[in-house]
Amino acid sequence: MPDIPQTECREAIALRAAGKAFALDDGGSVVALDGIDISIREGEFVAILGPSGCGKSTVLRLVAGLETATSGTVHIEGRAPAELAAHHRLGVAFQDHALLPWLSVSDNVALPFRVARKPVARDTIARLIALVGLSGFENARPSQLSGGMRQRASIARALALDPDVLLLDEPFGALDAVTRRHMNIELQRIWSARTLTTVLVTHSVEEALFLADRIIVMTGRPGRVLRDVAVPFARPRTPEALRTAQFHAMVDDLTRALEPQG
Amino acid sequence: MAGLTSLPTRLRRLKRSCAQRAPALIGIGLFCLAWQLIGSYRLAGLTWPPLSVVIGYLVDPDHHRLLTRAASTTLRAVALGYLIGAGIGLFLALAVRLFRPARAGIDTFVALIHVTPAIALAPVFMILMHRDAIPVAICALAVTYLIYVAATSGLDGAKRHHIDLFAVMGARPWQRFWLLERPTALPAIASGLKLAIPVAFMGTIVGEWFGAARGLGLLMVSGMQNFQIPMLWAAVLLTTLTSLVLYALMGLVERAVERRFA
Ligand SMILES: Nc1ncnc2c1ncn2[C@@H]1O[C@H](COP(=O)(O)OP(=O)(O)OP(=O)(O)O)[C@@H](O)[C@H]1O
Ligand SMILES: [Mg+2]
Repeated sequence: MPDIPQTECREAIALRAAGKAFALDDGGSVVALDGIDISIREGEFVAILGPSGCGKSTVLRLVAGLETATSGTVHIEGRAPAELAAHHRLGVAFQDHALLPWLSVSDNVALPFRVARKPVARDTIARLIALVGLSGFENARPSQLSGGMRQRASIARALALDPDVLLLDEPFGALDAVTRRHMNIELQRIWSARTLTTVLVTHSVEEALFLADRIIVMTGRPGRVLRDVAVPFARPRTPEALRTAQFHAMVDDLTRALEPQG
Repeated sequence: MAGLTSLPTRLRRLKRSCAQRAPALIGIGLFCLAWQLIGSYRLAGLTWPPLSVVIGYLVDPDHHRLLTRAASTTLRAVALGYLIGAGIGLFLALAVRLFRPARAGIDTFVALIHVTPAIALAPVFMILMHRDAIPVAICALAVTYLIYVAATSGLDGAKRHHIDLFAVMGARPWQRFWLLERPTALPAIASGLKLAIPVAFMGTIVGEWFGAARGLGLLMVSGMQNFQIPMLWAAVLLTTLTSLVLYALMGLVERAVERRFA
């Protein structure tokens, strides 16, 4: 990658004409993504909105290096996505939490340390567990938690090693509105403290507008980018920002973009 | 958390588990009664002694030396064959896990040994090894197969989303093995170890029929040949009871592992 002097313009994640087709058992194939172009700057927070099945998780899996593009390219910092993972600099919270059932909450959050063979930072883990509101549940097993609590534990795990790239796939899906708002505010604090390139898949337009610098709206079958909208609100954003007329206008606009074309 | 349950809760659980076991206890009672009646009324001829006669043979101090010698010989062979079989089974499962190209070959080899009846192998053993080693060998062979199948399927049992998690954490293959596949496999291995108990007894007893100098299997054969019917049945009952008790104990281990790892 050529050296670009202005660090804030450095491209962190680049999907160029990236396509993904899944082979099906019956010999056919389904095109999940059709030539997607997405460019995400270092430290940028991008939210992806789109109807169910449009390929949002597939985009994240390409960026995480869990799938390879069948056409086009996917790069992180100019390299293959798997390299970032190999250096333990990637944090992912999956759609289905993926906690290990035999480990306690704190051991699940500590897992990235063990895999990276770093000394387990007990205070970091305690801080992250407090951040996601699970203090007192350190020794609970995932089976003893609610769905939303498991999701929060998996967010804490994704943040454990202070990653450079964070991928969140509908991490707040199972949370009630109040907890969700609280999580949004808490997490915004982390993002204001350091540069953390983040891709968030969500179904909530409000959440996307509250957290993201930019919103990408996708359409399905095959998945394409429909809109790419910059979020104009200044940071730090307060819950009051959610009540302005401009905010409501953008919510309406994006909600309409998400409705099926007819 | 199990240690914290209060006494009333435990009593309630005990009551419930007694209630759950009632049908089994009634079943065993009916079985014993039927045995006794068939024997007393000679419904199945002279070779079916009443249960009381068999138990009388077992508790008669005159027979204790004979029975304990036979039982300890058989138990030692069972234990040795079980451990050797479990060891080889686990080792083979690990080997094909760590060196995947060997998988197909060893799978076929192990299946081939399994479909060959132990009875058919016994003559081969008789010319290959000392007759006292045959019970151990047949027992080990049967146990090897069971544990190999349980362990390989257990090691393959890791969930897709957990495998993805280890990929994005940048885990090395051996870390994935140790932190994910090994704990995932433990419940299946524990089940295999439980199911291997009766198999180990069967293998050992069959092995003893091929000219062992001592053991419960030998008592059965000589009881049959010399028409010592109570001794024959006493040996059968003793074998069955020992096998059942060990099976139940391994069931407890299985449940504990299941609770811990699944
Ligand atoms: N492993 C796979 N094999 C076959 N088809 C797949 C596979 N994974 C995804 N797909 C298909 O790709 C399309 C996009 O799936 P994806 O999971 O990315 O959707 P999504 O936008 O995340 O949906 P949701 O909002 O419901 O999570 C779907 O049509 C799905 O059927
Ligand atoms: Mg999805």
